Amino acid sequence: MTTAFRVTHRTIHAAALGNLNENLSRMAALQEQLSSGRLINRPSDSPTGTVNAMQYRADIRRVEQFSRNGQDGLNWLATADGTLQKVLDLTGRLRELVLKAQSGATDTQGREAIAQEVETLRAGLLDLANTRYLDRPLFAGTADVSDSYDTTGAFLGDVGDESVAAPLGKVERQVAPGVTVRVNLTGPEVFGDPSAADDLFATTAQIAADLRAGDLAGLNTRLVNLDAHIFNVQNQLSKVGARYRQVEVMRQRADDNLLVLKDGLSGVEDIDLPKTIVDLQLQEVAYRSALDATARVIQPSLMDFLR
Amino acid sequence: MSDFFGLSIGLSALYAQRRAIDITGQNIANANTEGYSRQRVTLSAREAGLTASVFSSSPASGAGVEVEAIERIRDFFLEVRAATEHASASQLAVTQRAFSRMELVFAEPSDRGIQTMLADYWAGWHDVANRPNDLAARTQLLERARTLVTAYNQAAGDLRSQWSTTVDQMSSTVSQVNEIASQIAELNGAILRATSAELSPADLQDQRDLLVTKLAEMAGISIRQGELGTVNVYLNGTPMILGSSFERLVLEVPATTNVDTADTTPVRLLWEKDSFPATVTSGELAGLLDAVNNVLPAYKSRLDDVGQKLADVVNTQHALGFDLDGLAGGPMFTFSAATGLSLDVVDPRKVAAAGAGSGLFDGSNAIVMAGLQDSLTGPDRSYQSMIIQLGVDTQVANRRVAIQRGILEQVDAARDAESGVSLDEEMANLVAYQHAYEAAARFITAVDEMLDRLVNGTGTVGR
Repeated sequence: MTTAFRVTHRTIHAAALGNLNENLSRMAALQEQLSSGRLINRPSDSPTGTVNAMQYRADIRRVEQFSRNGQDGLNWLATADGTLQKVLDLTGRLRELVLKAQSGATDTQGREAIAQEVETLRAGLLDLANTRYLDRPLFAGTADVSDSYDTTGAFLGDVGDESVAAPLGKVERQVAPGVTVRVNLTGPEVFGDPSAADDLFATTAQIAADLRAGDLAGLNTRLVNLDAHIFNVQNQLSKVGARYRQVEVMRQRADDNLLVLKDGLSGVEDIDLPKTIVDLQLQEVAYRSALDATARVIQPSLMDFLR
Repeated sequence: MSDFFGLSIGLSALYAQRRAIDITGQNIANANTEGYSRQRVTLSAREAGLTASVFSSSPASGAGVEVEAIERIRDFFLEVRAATEHASASQLAVTQRAFSRMELVFAEPSDRGIQTMLADYWAGWHDVANRPNDLAARTQLLERARTLVTAYNQAAGDLRSQWSTTVDQMSSTVSQVNEIASQIAELNGAILRATSAELSPADLQDQRDLLVTKLAEMAGISIRQGELGTVNVYLNGTPMILGSSFERLVLEVPATTNVDTADTTPVRLLWEKDSFPATVTSGELAGLLDAVNNVLPAYKSRLDDVGQKLADVVNTQHALGFDLDGLAGGPMFTFSAATGLSLDVVDPRKVAAAGAGSGLFDGSNAIVMAGLQDSLTGPDRSYQSMIIQLGVDTQVANRRVAIQRGILEQVDAARDAESGVSLDEEMANLVAYQHAYEAAARFITAVDEMLDRLVNGTGTVGR
């Protein structure tokens, strides 16, 4: 502004109003931040912050879902674990019975009694094979059936096979980006291949038959089969245990990740409350001084001093 | 040299000072009138005859004072500058408003926006994968899809209605422009007549200049001085107001134009008399034209892209899966730019969660569907980049408005410095003219006493 620049009251008036307006709009912005609790109330407040906030939100949703998937997977595996333990109990009892029958210290009646118990055990094993988790049969794979095995011991579900890339009967849960874990076992994997007519149920039925027929040689073969089955169930059990641990770890990682992400989102989006309050107070002081200065300048004029 | 000559000098002084006081009063009265330019009296000394002639000559001396002119203080070049800057400011303001409204439409970042609905939709597929046999999980997925579709269509609808409202605004602005142009032309005519009759049309000129600034804000016109105090108005080189005649503008909205087609069949401004297209590059009209033909269609088309991608990636993957009855999945969404998204699958059994070569209770296709959230050709990425662009554009518009406001303040201050009434100055002038008036009255009294002495006192010796 050169010294020759003519200043009228209207110029000062307009300038003062403009500056007061700017002060007020700065206060309004701080006010909005305080009342919404967020730094970014629209994309134009910070485009880069908005990218980050949107990304964080999407990630949080995804990680929450992974945690849920993981929990569901753990439930499947835990149910399978419990069931297999009970299967081992029953097959252990079965083995005892076979050994007892083999010792030759039993007569026909005794063997009949054992055969009946064997049949009861078979029914118990079938029951266990038909365990359900949340209204789905546990060992039926992905088939739309109400039971894994029927009363004759025929398998109704889908066959699963770990060695095949995309086997039928695989139930998976995604617990991390790109990581899916299989959480089920199918009946044939646990109890043996039904088509080969020597799965656990067939073997057990055969044991009862051999007991009644008194076929000791046959019982020997059955014992070998039974041991193979028990060994398999133990294998599957340890597989389930390993998977359980894996899913547990991943779920824990997802939960930890969630905390980090939520913290990140808050850092990008939320206001720093003490800082914003202090800023608002500073702005109020600035506004007050502007008002004071305006009052001082626009009031006096030459008229006050002329007679 | 007549004895009464002094009286005429005094009389001229009284007239002149009184006139000056009147003008000062006029300035004070209009100190706060918008568009008023201060008026200044130019006094000049009256000369006695200076032409030498044979028979009459008088000692050269002054013959009093006269009001030579009443000047209206206004700088035309500042007016030209002001017209440009006001036009710019209005245009930027219109653009900023358009962007701010769009930001409100999308309401990001928040938990209510389309981003969240998309995330919920993809998460719904995970729930289906966890419970493929359960109709509840599938129904939930369809509900989330429906919410997403509704939110999407609402956003598209909002953009569409923003477009129509802007076109309506344009048509009312065009009527206003025509109205103001006709008023300016009329004033020009009156000014012409007044100036020809040697009357001072200062107030008419003030009114006209106020209207010219208003017109500049709306249409970004340029001005040039015309004859006898009139002002000619040009719209990008084409004369709009010449003296007292003016041209009207007309808004052309082709019947097939809407927010989707406006980039190929744009809305145009035409001259009424010959239907030639009028070029408007500044002012509100320019901002509105840009919003209607470029900004809104561009963002609508980006939103369309999001919808198209959603339909494409979901339908493609859905077709690779199988539903609860073992049938291949049908299309889940239908998208068209005109009608938006719609959900085609309504029966929960038709959700294709199972993958190829698996049983009916398989959820592997559902897991793949959920993973589409991260797809490079998917809707999420497209939507995010649209929102970022919107944020950047709005921020730029906000900054430009703020900068222009600073420039405008300077220009208006310069105008006011030139034409504004300073009360202090008027007060000082008032005192000066008042004293001069008093002195002139005293002078007349002195001459009067002299004459009185002369008339009544001389030659009465011994009476």
